[in-house]
Amino acid sequence: MAGGASAADVRSILALPSPSTPGPSQPKPTAPKTARKPEGISRELYSLIGPSAPSLTAQLAKPRLKQKPNLGRGNKVAKWRVLAFVWRVYVLKEEWQEFSNPGRADSLKLCHWVKATTDPTAEYQFAKYNVPSTVYTYSQDEYNRLLEDKDWTKEETDYLFNVVREYDLRFYVVADRYDYPGGQPRTIEDLKDRYYSVCRRLIRNRPWAGDESSKVQLVASFFYDKDREVTRKKYIASLENRTPDQIAEEEALYVEVKRLEQNERRFAKERDELLKTIAGVDSGLPGVAADDEVQIALFGDPKKKKKGGNGMDIDSPISGPSGIISLGPSTPTRRVQSAKSVAYDALHCILRSDVMPTNVPPTKAAHQPVYLRSSRLPMPKASMAPKINQALAELDVSHTRLVMPTRENCSQLEGLFDAAAALVDTKKVVDKVDQEIRVLKARLAGRASVGARSEGADADSKNQGEQAEDGERDAEGEAEGEATEKADRAVSVAASVRSYSRKRSKRSASVSSVDTSTTSATRASRKRQRN
Amino acid sequence: MVNYGADEVSALVLDIGTSSIRAGYAGEDTPKAVVPTSYGFTPQTQDPLDVPMEAGGDPAADAAEIKKKAKLHIGQHGPSMFRHGMEVANPMQAGLIHDFTPIPSLIRYAFETGLSCNAAEHPVLVTEPPWNTPANRERMAEIMFEEFQVPAFYISNTGVLNAFAVGKGTALVIDIGQAMASVTPVVDGFVLRKGLASSALPQLVHAHAKHLLSTPTQRRPGGIQLIPHQLISSKQPVDPAVAPIYSLREDRIPGVTPSWREWYEGREVDEWVMSVAGVLDQGWNDQLAASRPPRQYEFPTGFNDWFGPERFLVGEQYFIHSAQMVASNPNIPKTLPALIAQSLSACEPDLRTVLLGNIVLTGGGSLFAGLGERLSNELMRNFAHMKIHAPGNPTERRFGGWLGGSILASLGTFHQLWISKEEWQEHGKAIVGQRCK
Repeated sequence: MAGGASAADVRSILALPSPSTPGPSQPKPTAPKTARKPEGISRELYSLIGPSAPSLTAQLAKPRLKQKPNLGRGNKVAKWRVLAFVWRVYVLKEEWQEFSNPGRADSLKLCHWVKATTDPTAEYQFAKYNVPSTVYTYSQDEYNRLLEDKDWTKEETDYLFNVVREYDLRFYVVADRYDYPGGQPRTIEDLKDRYYSVCRRLIRNRPWAGDESSKVQLVASFFYDKDREVTRKKYIASLENRTPDQIAEEEALYVEVKRLEQNERRFAKERDELLKTIAGVDSGLPGVAADDEVQIALFGDPKKKKKGGNGMDIDSPISGPSGIISLGPSTPTRRVQSAKSVAYDALHCILRSDVMPTNVPPTKAAHQPVYLRSSRLPMPKASMAPKINQALAELDVSHTRLVMPTRENCSQLEGLFDAAAALVDTKKVVDKVDQEIRVLKARLAGRASVGARSEGADADSKNQGEQAEDGERDAEGEAEGEATEKADRAVSVAASVRSYSRKRSKRSASVSSVDTSTTSATRASRKRQRN
Repeated sequence: MVNYGADEVSALVLDIGTSSIRAGYAGEDTPKAVVPTSYGFTPQTQDPLDVPMEAGGDPAADAAEIKKKAKLHIGQHGPSMFRHGMEVANPMQAGLIHDFTPIPSLIRYAFETGLSCNAAEHPVLVTEPPWNTPANRERMAEIMFEEFQVPAFYISNTGVLNAFAVGKGTALVIDIGQAMASVTPVVDGFVLRKGLASSALPQLVHAHAKHLLSTPTQRRPGGIQLIPHQLISSKQPVDPAVAPIYSLREDRIPGVTPSWREWYEGREVDEWVMSVAGVLDQGWNDQLAASRPPRQYEFPTGFNDWFGPERFLVGEQYFIHSAQMVASNPNIPKTLPALIAQSLSACEPDLRTVLLGNIVLTGGGSLFAGLGERLSNELMRNFAHMKIHAPGNPTERRFGGWLGGSILASLGTFHQLWISKEEWQEHGKAIVGQRCK
């Protein structure tokens, strides 16, 4: 039974060059015709691999010849180990390969499992993590010239640099392991100070290939202020050495400060609310409301009327959206914007919405809460939407993605929709007029053909032709009468559309509908002038 | 296969402790072989055919000679089985290997019987306590290379390995074993030797428990007889705290050696401690101790009793020593808080906060009922920002050192650190100290 195989046997299997090609010493694999379980393979294993692994059978059967003493539970362990081996070799297609580690100075070869396709001569994948730290070295000459220190001998400095290299600049460990025979005891600050000062001196005095700033930077990275470090450490120590009483006192003081702060805040809030009630000062004022603003609010300052205000809300006793309560209907309450707050608004890009519906009662419904502009982008009118969209698509104007919904952009988008709507209207009228012209022309043509048939009616026909032309002109004039206003607008629309599309640098050369509307509009206006 | 930087080279990990030797394959989560370190041996009578080479040597050498010739009984059926004239010994003292004579046999047993493998085919990682001596580790390397012919060897510190086992490079490791309790500051995978503090506290706790059980009291006038069950032929059920009724196996009594008896009594006490003893989570308080439910325990003689407040006295030894005890014994082992304070005061102030935030509680002794909570409370009183990491899985605490070794030896980046046989032959013992920092 394969279970008898111990770890050593498994290794001997592993040492084979390739598990699928049995060595010369082994019997040639013969495919068993019968499905009978071969000798030397456990039932579990056989049911796992089936009869299709004859080479495996041969290999597994072999170690059985050199029976080893059955050691306790090793039996069971070995069985699982064989299964694991089978799994790795036949399912994961792995190989037990030797590798050498470039991080090692000797020729130790360890083995590991790798994919069978891996190149055995490839560099060890973990070698790249073996990064030695850069520790400066110096020559005797350099030491004599630059690094003399009355506290340190050359030997001890050498020792320090060795230890630092050995522990990869971990100064806590260096200080722990530092034991220079016959030297004085050194603290971690002593060691760091010596090491960094030596490094600094070496960098400063060695020829430098790079530019000056990188050198300065490098020297700065080796900066070490021993006195400051010692002081810092003393602070830490004193912080740790506080007695429980001191800690408790500190805690009590902290709580007291918090309480005072809270009181202050509550007082400020109450005062603020009071002012709001009495004087109608906006609650958004920083801190406690300034007195002069209260004065303004109470008595009104004509100089500081809202700039650019259209006077709509000056005399209306309607409370603003900020919820200011008017004291009485006769008191003209209004939002007061001091110069300071204007400046503040400008600085923080705050735009106060001036337009306020005058005839809306001051209910909650009329109140417009703060909203994100991007959530209320202007949309084309529902009834016109498909046509407008089509027109815009024809113009190659993409309006669905307004990247930056600033106020200007929103109003521009709104203008675009208006223009597009006007354009669509105009188009409709133009189409109608065109249709009429076509009908009249057709009628004229019919009449002309009749005249042509009757000989000697040239003059008549000419007359009639003139008449027809007149008619046509009349029809145009009629159409023009209807369309004038719209056409006028259409010009501006077309212009604005053009300018817009130019702005978006997406203007297409063949804007058919715009062109027709423009020509018809210009013609119409010309005719109107003629009339 | 690359999993988290692992690269298995089928290394073996060997962790020798006072109570047990743990061995297994690197990369696994529990050691496959756990063998008691205590072993039994029956001194062989002088073989008449064997001519004594030198007569009248010094007695110590004679004793060693006898031991060498003795038949060793190792494993689960080693010391715990009764054999006529079998002595029991433990090669460890204060967590260190004191007697190297039986060590190769123990290791061989662990590898060949426990793992059924040949150590000559595997790199072996061995652990050592942080206070191990250079001579000791070199001897261990010698055993591994010369006797077991391992291709590669490394010896690593249990403090570091316990930190690695919980995934930390920097930690304050509190390791409570069977013989020693130690506090080891580990920074970036290196032990700070100056901050190392250890004491034989668990032995004191054990002695205290034994004293508690065997001393006659009002309730138990005769104290408790800790007679191993191998020596008892029959017993009758009795009421709690009533003298037991049992009969001894008289045929075995003459074959009992003092060392076996002592070992077995120690085991009895340990079992009692494990199942009954505990520690209060907020310092000693008579009322609180009395309010806790008592626990019943039956000894091999059939004697059984309910243990009330006294069971909490045992654990108290870990944290505080009574004034009279300190006065009577100036060399009393330091308590856990004292060890931690000593260790921290020897560390850099900068490091203290980091270490306190990464306290690792490990070792089989830390599974003492209520110890983790009590320690946490004790430390919380003195240090504000303190965090104890104690693996919840008992296996991880018992085999923390082994587990760390298992992780370390399966790392791809570790394989350049092995001391190979070639290097051992070239540089000799010095390489051990150079490589294993």
